[in-house]
Parts: sequence; structure tokens; C-alpha cells
Amino acid sequence: MSEEFVFEAEHLTVGYPGRLVLHDLSFSVRPGELVGIIGANGAGKSTLMKTLRGMLAAQEGSVRLYGRKIRDIPGRELARLAGYLQQQTAVPFAYTVRDIVMTGRYPYLSWWQQAGERDRQLAEVCLAYVGMADQANRPLQELSGGQRQRVLLAKVLAQQTPVLLLDEPAAGLDLMYQEELFRFCRSLCAAGRTVMLIAHELSLADRFCSRLLLIGQGGLIADGTPREVMTEPLLSRAFSADIRVSVNPLTGHADIYTQPGQPAADREKLLRQITGREGSDGRA
Amino acid sequence: MEEHKANRRYGRIMLCLAVLLILAVLLSLSWGQMKIPFSHVMAALLQGIAPGVADAGVPADQAAVLWHIRLPRTAVGLMVGAGLGISGAVLQGIFANPLADPGIIGVSSGASVGAIVAIALGLSSLSLFALPVFALLGALLAVLLTVSLSMRHGRIPVLTLLLAGVVVGMFLSAVTAAILTAMNENKMQEYLFWTIGGLDYRRWDHVLLAIGPMGTGIAVMLLLARHLNILVLGDTEARAVGMPVTLYRMALLLLASLTTAAGVCISGNIGFVGLVVPHMMRLLVGPDHRRLLPASLLAGGCFLVFCDAAGRVIFSGMEVRAGIMTAFIGTPYFLYLLRKQQRNLSD
Repeated sequence: MSEEFVFEAEHLTVGYPGRLVLHDLSFSVRPGELVGIIGANGAGKSTLMKTLRGMLAAQEGSVRLYGRKIRDIPGRELARLAGYLQQQTAVPFAYTVRDIVMTGRYPYLSWWQQAGERDRQLAEVCLAYVGMADQANRPLQELSGGQRQRVLLAKVLAQQTPVLLLDEPAAGLDLMYQEELFRFCRSLCAAGRTVMLIAHELSLADRFCSRLLLIGQGGLIADGTPREVMTEPLLSRAFSADIRVSVNPLTGHADIYTQPGQPAADREKLLRQITGREGSDGRA
Repeated sequence: MEEHKANRRYGRIMLCLAVLLILAVLLSLSWGQMKIPFSHVMAALLQGIAPGVADAGVPADQAAVLWHIRLPRTAVGLMVGAGLGISGAVLQGIFANPLADPGIIGVSSGASVGAIVAIALGLSSLSLFALPVFALLGALLAVLLTVSLSMRHGRIPVLTLLLAGVVVGMFLSAVTAAILTAMNENKMQEYLFWTIGGLDYRRWDHVLLAIGPMGTGIAVMLLLARHLNILVLGDTEARAVGMPVTLYRMALLLLASLTTAAGVCISGNIGFVGLVVPHMMRLLVGPDHRRLLPASLLAGGCFLVFCDAAGRVIFSGMEVRAGIMTAFIGTPYFLYLLRKQQRNLSD
């Protein structure tokens, strides 16, 4: 893969027919980057990621992967280029952890072919990498949310793709594993993979990502290094809130604080309605 | 290693199923109005396979019943049971729902419409094949209608498919009811007899009629078992690993429908096999379709042949049709499963 860019988005508009979510985005991603997509709830982060992966058609503009239009790449080939971890996967029936990780080998098998010993060994390695090797024979349904998330990450790893798109991979993980996950991603990038992930935890995104895309107000608000993006005016705009950023002089990382978005008096009034103590002047 | 243990366990279960299947076949050949002792069954079968062997001493009437009544009947039972079992497992996979069965996409109601049209037009009295062929056509048309109703932008959302199947089923039942009310009593009785599926009076012609489509359907479904494991995880997950989702969903749906329809057209509507058997097998061999499909195939054949044989001897002088027996045995078991699931949920 000698191409200069992994992803190129040109005047990309994402969303659904009749409901456009993000307008006119242009950006490109180089090999080895760890790109965090950040923004408020409902800003369109997942929609953007699905469009980048070719799961949703671009409403306008185009997405290129290694220089080729994403919609021209056949499904199986695409699955060997870009892995995708969705936000929530419902697994019916009692499939074991190993069964699920083995599905990552699907794009490498012809329709009549069965998975071989090499595929099985790779699945074990991927499970070991996310620290779930000892759970291989348990049904996925029995595991906690965080454990499930790690198994699904192992499945994406078993796909052995040069590009990984992860939609909130840290959701539901313990604090320790959240950081662990970002470290996984960073070492993947150091090994030449390209990772794009949607992050909720801004301070982790700030610490680990090499680059951030800040999404909000129907478009791309900022694109740059964490230092360039994690600023009070930009974040306040994206999250429609009063956000304070203080850079810790010791670590060089940003600490983020929010100020209440609603006036305090309004909130008092709403709370009184909820607790049913309207007449008592908020005391009682 | 755990994986090898699971493989050995699967091997043992399949062996047990095979033994049970052979037992069910022997019972089915032996039980009935004319009791044929096992020794005679074996001897006659041996004679049939290797005619050169010395005369086994089976009375001629017993040999005739065996070759012209019991064997074709058992063969139809095996085929239909196996076909319903594996189709049920495939449909439960497509819908990712353990309560799905071949009736859910309109197969049985479509077959009923076909059957009643054949009866109403008087074609069923002209040819033995008229009714099965009409039932098969009706079933396939119903499935095509269901699929085309739920197809949007080249995709088939599972929930829409389910709803379309229910709607098509209801509509076709109304069509059947409308034709039924306009028929005379004899024809009505003929239809009623057909709806309660059974294996009596099945001949080698019936076997020959259905073995082609059923054999093909079953073989290809077994071949595609691995893909069903991916399809079960939902559209997004399947596309993320590069599966052409609509193609496989459509192919498996049509194969399961063809197999079921071919079965229904030679035996009438037989319930519960496609629902209970895959469910039971999933508890035994797990959800991996590469194991579940062969297990459901064997268990389905075994279950239906046994139900048919038991229906012949449960009351003396009267035969209980196989379609009734499967419901009698299937319902309590299903209720038990349901209660067990509820208990698990409340824990």
C-alpha cells in the first residue's frame, strides 16, 4: 500500500435521504495515524464512520480508500481492507467467544471453504491480545458488556485489516481497560495500521490520538492535533456548552471541565416539578 | 482441550441420533394393523438388498405390506421430517429467533391455497399428482410474495420479512376459507383430511415426486451452514466481514421454503417438527449451524417417523395421523422449554 492517503473525503455530505447530518466535510487520513472523532451526542459521528466504511452511501461528495472510490470496492475486499466495530452487536443464541472471533476470518474464505488451523490459531492470538484467551469457550451472552466489547475487538483484529474503524470501542469498559484500549490502538498504529475511532472520553482522546476530528453544528468544526483542537472556543462550540480547558503543566495533557449549560434558576424550577414540591418554594 | 471435547460430544450425539433413527425406522416397518416381527422385517430387507440369498421365509402378505406400504410411508416420513427439521433450523437462523418455523413465511398457508384450488377444481380426483403439485406451487408463490413485499432497495430487513409473512399468511387463510365455504361436503372432507398432515397411503410415487427438490434443498443448506452463522449476527456485522447479505438471506430462504413446500405437498401440513426439533438440537449441540443443521436433519426424520409409527399403535383399530401426533408430543415439550426459559430469565 504505497498510496499517500488511506482515506480521502472530498466535500462529503453524510446522512440519509431527506435527513442530512453532516455537510461538506473534506479531510484525509495518512497511514499510521490514530484519528479520534469527537463531538456531542447525536452530532453524527457514527453516521460519518458508517459512510467512511461504505455501510451508508455518501449523500454528496466522495470517500476514497487507498485512492479508490469506496463504493467501487467489492464487499469481501473491503472487509480485508477496513475492519469495523459497531457500537452495539446483539448476538442471539449461545455462540461462544471463539465462534465470534472466528467470524473475523470470513472475508478470507471462499464460500465453500471451512476455516483452517491457521485461522483458529490467529483467533487464539487475537483473544490473547485483548486478554480474553481464558474465556474462549464461554457463550458471549454470559459475559459483561466490557468483556463483550473486548471480544468484538478481537474479532476485528482477526480480520487482519490495515485500517480499523471503531465506533466507541471504549464504551462500557473499566477505566483501566479504556486506557488499555487506547494503548492497543496506539501500538497498532505504530505497527503501521491506521485506526479511526469515536471517543467519548475527551481526556483519553487528547492523550492518545495523533489527530482529532471535531464534529458539530452539522459539519467539521476542527481537524488537527489534540493541542490545536482541544481549545475552549472550539469545544464550547461543538458541545454547545461552556467548556474550560486547562493544560496540566506536568503531563502536558488537557483537563476538561464543563460549566452548567442551563441557567441555574431554570433548573431549580424543573427539579421542583419533578420532585412535586412546587408549592413549597423549593425548601421543605 | 475444550474444543476437542466439544467435537467428541458432537460425534457421540450424532451417533445416538443415528441409532435412534434406525430404531424408529424398524418400529415404523414393524408396527401397524398387521404386526410384522422384527426378524421378518430384517429378513425381507436383506432379501430385497441381496435377492440371491436363500428364501427367508417371510409370508408373502407381510412382504407385500412391507414393500408397498410400510417402506414408502417410512421413506416419506424420513424425508419430510428431515426436511422440516433442517428448514426450521435455517429459518430460526435467518430470523435470529428460536420461535421461527417454516410456517412463518407463508409456506403452509400458500400450500393450503394450492391444495384447496386443486380440490375445488376437481383435479385431485383426476391425478394423484395434481394436489401435491398445486400445493408446491401455492407454497412457492406465497414465499415469493412475502419476499417481494419486504424487499426495499435490494435489501430484506428481517422484521419486515416477518411482518410480511404474517400478513401473507392471514390473507391466504382468508382465501382458503372463502373457497372452503363454497365447496360441497365431499370436497370439504378431502381438504380437511389433507390439512391434518399424515403419512398414510403414501406410495413410492410420492417419494419420487419430492426427493429431487428436497434432496437438492437439503444438500445446499448443509453446504451453506457456515454462512448462516454470520447472517445470524445481523446485517451490519455480516456486511462488516464482507458477506453479500441479501444474496445469502434470499438463497437460504428459498432453499428452506422449497424443501418445506416439497415436504408439505406430499404429507400435508405437519407442525411442530420445524419448531421443536431445531430448538431441542440447539440445546444439545449448540448454536453453530455446521452442527445444528445435520443434527436437526437426523432428529427431524427420527421424530416424524416415530410419531407416525406411534400413531398407528396408540389406539387399537384407529390410526392417529402423524400431524396430530407431532402436536401431541411437541406441545408439552415446547411448553416445558418456554417455562424453563422464563425461569432462566427470572434468575
